[in-house]
Amino acid sequence: MIDRRLQPSLRFSGNGPGALAGPGPGDGPGAAGQPGAPEAGTRGRLLARGEAVTLDLEGDPVPAFRGETVAVALFASGARALSRSLKYHRPRSFFCLAGHCGACLMRIDGRPNVKACQTPCSDGLRVASQNAWPSAEHDAFGVVDWLFPRGMDHHHMFTGSRAMNAVLRKVTRQMSGLGRLPDPRPGNVRPETPPLRRLAGASAPDVLVVGAGPAGLAAATAAARAGARVLGIDDGAVPGGSLLADPGHGLAAAASSVREARAAGAEVRAASPMIGYFPEDGGGLAAIRTPDALWLVQPRTTIYATGGYDQNALFEDNDRPGVISGRAAGRLLVRFGVRPARRAVVAGDAPYAAALAAELAAAGITVTRTPRVQRAHGRAWVSAATLADGSRVTCDLIAVCETPAPASEPARQHGCAVTLQPARGGFCIDTDAAGLTSLPGVFACGDVTGYQGPDAAALDGARVGAAAAAAASAARAREAATP
Amino acid sequence: MAPRDPPPPTPTATPGPAEQPALPARAETVVIGGGVIGLAIAWNLARLGKSDIVILERSYLAAGASGRNGGGIRQQWSTELNIRLMQESVALVKRFTADLGINVWLRQGGYLFLARTDTERGFLEQNAALQQRCGVGTRVLTPAEANEIVPELDVSGFAAAAYNPSDGILFPWPFLWGYADGAVKLGARLHCFTDVTAIDRPPANDAAGDFTVHTSRGAIRAHRVINAAGAWSPEIARLVGVELPDRPVRHEILSTEPLKPFLRPMVSVLGTGLYFSQSMRGEIVGGVSIHGDRHTLAMGSRLKFLTTMARALCELVPQFGEVQVLRQWAGPYDVTVDGNPILGEPPGLPRFYLCCGFMGHGFMMAPVIGKYYGEWLAGGKPHEIFDKWTLARFASGQLAKETFIIG
Amino acid sequence: MSGKVIVCRCEDVTLHDVEHTLARGYRDIEEVKRYTGFGTGPCQGKECLRVVACLLAERTGVAPSAIAPFTTRPPIASVPLRLLAGPGAEDLTSARDDDATDEDHGMAG
Ligand SMILES: Cc1cc2nc3c(=O)[nH]c(=O)nc-3n(C[C@H](O)[C@H](O)[C@H](O)COP(=O)(O)OP(=O)(O)OC[C@H]3O[C@@H](n4cnc5c(N)ncnc54)[C@H](O)[C@@H]3O)c2cc1C
Ligand code: FES
Repeated sequence: MIDRRLQPSLRFSGNGPGALAGPGPGDGPGAAGQPGAPEAGTRGRLLARGEAVTLDLEGDPVPAFRGETVAVALFASGARALSRSLKYHRPRSFFCLAGHCGACLMRIDGRPNVKACQTPCSDGLRVASQNAWPSAEHDAFGVVDWLFPRGMDHHHMFTGSRAMNAVLRKVTRQMSGLGRLPDPRPGNVRPETPPLRRLAGASAPDVLVVGAGPAGLAAATAAARAGARVLGIDDGAVPGGSLLADPGHGLAAAASSVREARAAGAEVRAASPMIGYFPEDGGGLAAIRTPDALWLVQPRTTIYATGGYDQNALFEDNDRPGVISGRAAGRLLVRFGVRPARRAVVAGDAPYAAALAAELAAAGITVTRTPRVQRAHGRAWVSAATLADGSRVTCDLIAVCETPAPASEPARQHGCAVTLQPARGGFCIDTDAAGLTSLPGVFACGDVTGYQGPDAAALDGARVGAAAAAAASAARAREAATP
Repeated sequence: MAPRDPPPPTPTATPGPAEQPALPARAETVVIGGGVIGLAIAWNLARLGKSDIVILERSYLAAGASGRNGGGIRQQWSTELNIRLMQESVALVKRFTADLGINVWLRQGGYLFLARTDTERGFLEQNAALQQRCGVGTRVLTPAEANEIVPELDVSGFAAAAYNPSDGILFPWPFLWGYADGAVKLGARLHCFTDVTAIDRPPANDAAGDFTVHTSRGAIRAHRVINAAGAWSPEIARLVGVELPDRPVRHEILSTEPLKPFLRPMVSVLGTGLYFSQSMRGEIVGGVSIHGDRHTLAMGSRLKFLTTMARALCELVPQFGEVQVLRQWAGPYDVTVDGNPILGEPPGLPRFYLCCGFMGHGFMMAPVIGKYYGEWLAGGKPHEIFDKWTLARFASGQLAKETFIIG
Repeated sequence: MSGKVIVCRCEDVTLHDVEHTLARGYRDIEEVKRYTGFGTGPCQGKECLRVVACLLAERTGVAPSAIAPFTTRPPIASVPLRLLAGPGAEDLTSARDDDATDEDHGMAG
């Protein structure tokens, strides 16, 4: 069960401070093929919401709009803790709002462990909390958290007594796992298993661009303009990546970048993460999980423009609901038109922190800046923060502005060399001046090579997109030369 | 449950590559391979007073098959020897936490084997009878009875099942840490990130002379060498000019998202080599045979495995359709033609001990094999396995066929 | 409620757990992963790998450039089994006919 506080919706409406600005509807980035997708105004903010729908939250109706995701709709209508965590049953709610962390898992449509922040709202969609009893806000098993105040070494727990050890194993088994098995289909019939779709040989793209944020979209545009056949994919529900989190860019910038890439001839697909590169299968295939089928693609060249994952800072109770990434606060504000807080603490000194703080303030939110939070207070939602200087402020949001970690997983799994560079966010893909990685035909650009920010990432993308197109055309020429 | 601080740090474990202490000049026993087999032998030897041991491991402790397996432990076998050994191993696993002070999360939820054909049903019946004679509680079930144990199964098309409730699963890694810590506490020394690159036989003119084992971090002399390098053991044997018949076969495995407990036994399907269980953390962990694979030490992950496994799971448990895969990986099976391991000294090379060829069941065998190997090398009487599972059997054709093999 | 510092949200691994593991002598990132369970949850380390890698560098004095990430394993994003189970995978190559070659010997898998 999920508790909600009765409170007015946090969604913007009308012309209040920070309200939806700008004339005339723009072209929402997800507009193509997505009925009811949100539209953007010129300042990049959400202008008009999609059609109103109602979620079924454990039997309770919750108003939502098409174009919103479940986590956002629940937040906007006052839901707090969504589920409980695996081991200590600590309250959980979204952190990154980008589908990368594991903070917002819920049972949705009878399926366990679904990312609520990536699931589009639809009418009657069944949504429930997980791993909590009786409710996500008041979970009896939360007592485990008290029993182990600092953590636990489960390897060496109760090894001294056979009887206690047997009890430990029983209890551990009972408490294990997160969501329950998916609901059976009526009649327990076998699941639908759509055919795999192969894009190889004649139908193969010249350039596969993984990631459709500023770097990836610029790369796709540049490569397509250079004559390459380009497939761009993104794991987000709509393309745009970090642009959708950035008050300085926002929906409008994302929409125009997507438009540009498509106008240049690139195919850009959202909700389609690459799940791996398999060198031994079918002569080397990139596998992509699209919403309705697995695609197997054999591109001539690949560009990793996967950006960065939002990262948390280390402080006490840093996992409290209400401690969210700065860019998640940006996403609420920019992409969803939802006011993230009344009183926010903006913590950290990532390059985007100042702009975010200003934008929150402009939206009528009381903002406190601090280089570092020492401790979050509150249970099901954050209620205060102890700041770097030891002072304590009341707040209903802590926006953590850390340097994002390069999302180098896909490239790493492909085999690209990386180097840990803490100041640039983490494991950065090694590239040469042209964006070429340690592997032939594999390029990288943007934040995944070390944090750059949207503008620099777009410049990088344009350069690398052109280089990848040239490499692809050389590969094509070689293919033509060998009968 | 009361809050309890973890025990004080021990200096055993394995520091990173840069922090390894220098190798000693000599040890009575050098164990090559820090997998479960090498570590189990080392602990047993040390326990019996022969603690002048150095264990050489090329990587971190769980890098080989021992860190990559499914953690299944069963007593359903086709030969009396394996059945009895595994009964003993189960008893040792039950004592492991008491003996070595680390949790291994043994859960005896049984092993449920499913048979599609009448031939397979006959195979299960015949083996169940043998297992019962040894005191194992295996029962042959109808598909409907199997469904009572795992209601989620779609048993249409199956002919029978065999179920022994005292089989189970365990959590592999703590075995390695437990044996390693235990051996080191008794005086053994563990050197990780130390790659064996060459071995000199004892000097020809000195029958009692030492081996010299060369590594990436210097050389060490040894009175006896134990080749416990698993799938890499043929390479190690080649360093002393011995050809071993075991071969590496890649075996892939995957893990799903963590689910609330629902599945008690390890489920396995004869014929396809499908097996899966629910781990102590709630994940469905399992694998399936990929036919036509040849010998390789490659450990890359393949889409072919992912798709084959997904199809097998969706057919057997329709509710798994929406279960999400989180991670896949691969490890090497160390395969022999008769399904049994290779033990003892190769002809003409005394004090060079083999302990390899454990197929896909070396983990569950390690406790009992380690015990008998330790007892023998510490001066005790050799168990019959050292007569039966020799290298010489492959040349003489006196194979000891074990046919109850998964994957 | 206690003031845990969470390093890995998916698996509820705390800063204290990581420090404890380092103090026990496990200093390779693959071992810290196995001992604490960090990086093995639904996000597969997207939120916790960098923080643990940086902690390792900081606490052990090893240069960051000498710290490798733990092996990245597919799938990079979780996939429901049914999407993998459809027709069209029959002709994916399976066998590698070679006996082991030198380059295969790594632990890369
Ligand atoms: C996917 C999979 C699933 C399995 N499932 C099960 C199961 O459910 N139940 C079960 O009982 N068994 C199972 N097994 C089998 C089991 O894991 C093995 O039989 C067992 O771990 C073998 O242990 P080992 O010590 O012989 O080999 P390993 O664990 O492979 O150890 C050998 C060690 O030698 C080291 N080494 C190699 N070369 C050198 C060198 N030159 N110098 C120094 N060190 C070197 C390696 O790094 C390695 O750590 C499975 C195996 C796999 C791959
Ligand atoms: S936060 Fe560590 S695995 Fe997700």
